[in-house]
Amino acid sequence: MDDIIPKDRAKPFKWVGTRPVRPDGVPKVTGLALYGADFAMPGMLVGRILRSPHAHARIRSIDTSKAAALPGVKAVTTSADFPEQKFEYVGPERVAVNFWHVTRNIMARDKVLYEGHALAAVAATSKAVADEALSLIEVDYEVLPHVIDVEAAMRPDAPLLFPDLITRGVDPAPTKPSNISKRLEFKIGDLEAGFAAADEIVEMSFKTAPVHQAYIEPQACAARFDADGQGEIWSSSQGHFVVRALTAQLLGMKVGDLRVYPAEIGGAFGGKTVIYLEPVAAMLARKSGHPVKIVMSREDVFRASGPTSGSAMTVKIGVKRDGKIVAADGVFKFQAGAFPGSPVMNACMCAFAPYDIPNARSVGYDVVCNRPKVAAYRAPGSPISAFAVESVLDVLAQRLGMDPLQLRLKNAARAGTQMVYGPKLSHNGYAETIEALLDHPAYKAPLKKNQGRGVASGYWFNAGGESSATLHVNEDGTVVVATGSPDIGGSRASMAIMAAETLGIDYDQVRPIVADTASVGYTHVTGGSRVTFATGIAVVDAAKKVIRELCARAAMIWDVDVEGVVWEDGYAKPASSNVGDFKPLSLKEIAAKRALTGGPIGAAAAVNAGGVAPGFATQFCDVEVDPETGKVTVLRFVAAQDVGRAIHPSYVEGQIQGGVVQGIGWALNEEYIYDSRGRLENPGFLDYRIPVASDLPMIEAVLIEVPNPNHPYGAKGVAEVNICPPMAAIANAIDRAVGRRLTELPMSPPKVLAAIDAREQA
Amino acid sequence: MGTAPARVVLTGGLSRRYTGNVQEFAVEAKDLRGVIKALDRLYPGLGEHLEEETTVAIDGEIHEVGYYQPIRPGSEVFFIPKLEGG
Repeated sequence: MDDIIPKDRAKPFKWVGTRPVRPDGVPKVTGLALYGADFAMPGMLVGRILRSPHAHARIRSIDTSKAAALPGVKAVTTSADFPEQKFEYVGPERVAVNFWHVTRNIMARDKVLYEGHALAAVAATSKAVADEALSLIEVDYEVLPHVIDVEAAMRPDAPLLFPDLITRGVDPAPTKPSNISKRLEFKIGDLEAGFAAADEIVEMSFKTAPVHQAYIEPQACAARFDADGQGEIWSSSQGHFVVRALTAQLLGMKVGDLRVYPAEIGGAFGGKTVIYLEPVAAMLARKSGHPVKIVMSREDVFRASGPTSGSAMTVKIGVKRDGKIVAADGVFKFQAGAFPGSPVMNACMCAFAPYDIPNARSVGYDVVCNRPKVAAYRAPGSPISAFAVESVLDVLAQRLGMDPLQLRLKNAARAGTQMVYGPKLSHNGYAETIEALLDHPAYKAPLKKNQGRGVASGYWFNAGGESSATLHVNEDGTVVVATGSPDIGGSRASMAIMAAETLGIDYDQVRPIVADTASVGYTHVTGGSRVTFATGIAVVDAAKKVIRELCARAAMIWDVDVEGVVWEDGYAKPASSNVGDFKPLSLKEIAAKRALTGGPIGAAAAVNAGGVAPGFATQFCDVEVDPETGKVTVLRFVAAQDVGRAIHPSYVEGQIQGGVVQGIGWALNEEYIYDSRGRLENPGFLDYRIPVASDLPMIEAVLIEVPNPNHPYGAKGVAEVNICPPMAAIANAIDRAVGRRLTELPMSPPKVLAAIDAREQA
Repeated sequence: MGTAPARVVLTGGLSRRYTGNVQEFAVEAKDLRGVIKALDRLYPGLGEHLEEETTVAIDGEIHEVGYYQPIRPGSEVFFIPKLEGG
């Protein structure tokens, strides 16, 4: 039965690789799609959250009595309503959850740790009443010194967020607390010998600003509770099963007593893999007996939801004269925000991953500071360390007089290369992205004065894991594909394509949906670039089961053995002339006889998908620097990426273009600006400047297809690695345009101008 | 069994935390369940940590930890910190 899917392109695909209209497109462009803020129920209340005005303060007391007494207020909650959680790290190291921290993040206890930290909430009959109630809550704060910068937070005299935080990963364990939550290290080979053998060594330090995912849709949710303790939540997230698990834990509920419905999602990029509002809305609903909706404002999003880390890094790389890298060393210090858990481990593992380096080490520090707890952001950690590594490589290429793509090609990791984190790489794809750009006609195009061309690469693991899918054959032969993966980047179209290809039916005969937590099996978050790979395997597995059932039904109709039936191009056919002379039966014809042959036809499949292939990207860009203002204009951007096989090329190209745009914003403009008291001064899109269309050239996506043999159609994750190269590519282009190396993000006009002025003064 | 054992390696601080810095093991097993059982016999409790906290690379292919993963004679098995993205 597995041979129903062609293993090579000898049998051309009918749907894989085509660009049909997305099934969720019409409701989105007509405004009828239901996002998190769109749900309404009779008697629903407005929930509002009181947030800390201080970056760091002890809560001496909270008095909510006046708010609770205000007419129209139906419930008030503080941390006192939420059960205390055990202090322990649960789950994998990189994403270990400590519910003692999580419950304090959604509702402060004892201390507020950042401006915007939630510490009380109300549910009222209108927003006006709710806002008035918030103003009546009396909080007595003891304001404490705060710290935001990562290196300042690591100093021995820094204000401590937690008086008992002892650094993990250090032997022997420190005796004094600090803000350093964790130290980690990966190492292969002999670093000292490697550097001793090098002809050129470059060591540089870098800083990056924390940046927000800047999704367009703020977090929003609605919750209701029945008197029997059963709860329901509607929310916009990257994983409603994870929303269910986290909310149930924080409320002390059984997972089975909570049902979570996925809303359409207006962007996330990692920021909606965690929760803020759901437990609060659920608590208010439980206390008031009414449904409650809470919607974050844009200011709330900036002040209270997780961005990615700011960092301080030092990277040292040694090469032979022929360009062979012989040693690399990196130290990466990452802000975790108010609670431990930055993506510094990913940064350490990805930093040198594109390259075959025999002697390498990466050391990471996870550091708490008075900012919102960081959340995942597109290839979390990897873009930050890539900025440092890819900048140093550019300096080395210039010193060696070598083309920067050729330097990368000479050192490219290939199947069999040992990674700094241990195992050997088992998939190719990186060298192919470099070769594609070397062959690109624009790579040799001439540049004018004040223009420069920069190159950089990136690596991301991609992911597999647990996914479920259910296929139902409808009475008329159309098919419903239900999965548990929220659709952020067009995954419903990809699921429909893979189901149609496997079943041999038309794309428009398949209706893909995202089912709620009670209607499909457990499915992990839409994150890690895992959905087309892992959920796609579940969809194909379920389609194969349906085909087996369809063949069995055809055998019954023809009164032959099931072994005598094969499935080809959407029809059951006799396996040979010996079986008999039967007219092929379509899926529609078999569905029409479902009752006669055993009842409804459908199948479910669940996988824990492995055999993930990583993503590699290489990009070049041309920039022009205005020497009068320091403004950097991106003139051209070409982004090559190994995508395995593009199931729906338009959405793959969209992922690449989106990742590059976010990288351009990270490189040139985006940063949090704090005042001296640790209060954010730019919590909105007017002052936190993300790129808009008029800032950007057309971004050319170059799809490299090196199929992953572990996926039925060869798919690899495509959503994240594209954000890794842009910051370094732009820094490298600026250096080649004006001869100044910028090592701090964002490379905003004042910094670029200062660098140009320094050059002229020198 | 007369077959080449698998080379099993703990990375990313796992050996520091759980095995007194012993990083490499030779294990004869036909699947990952057997590998985990063998390591758990050497360091009681280690099996649960590996199941909960790691991703596994078997001959370079990265998988979620699953008992059913086959192990060939001479395979390289790396337990690495679990990976997750955005």
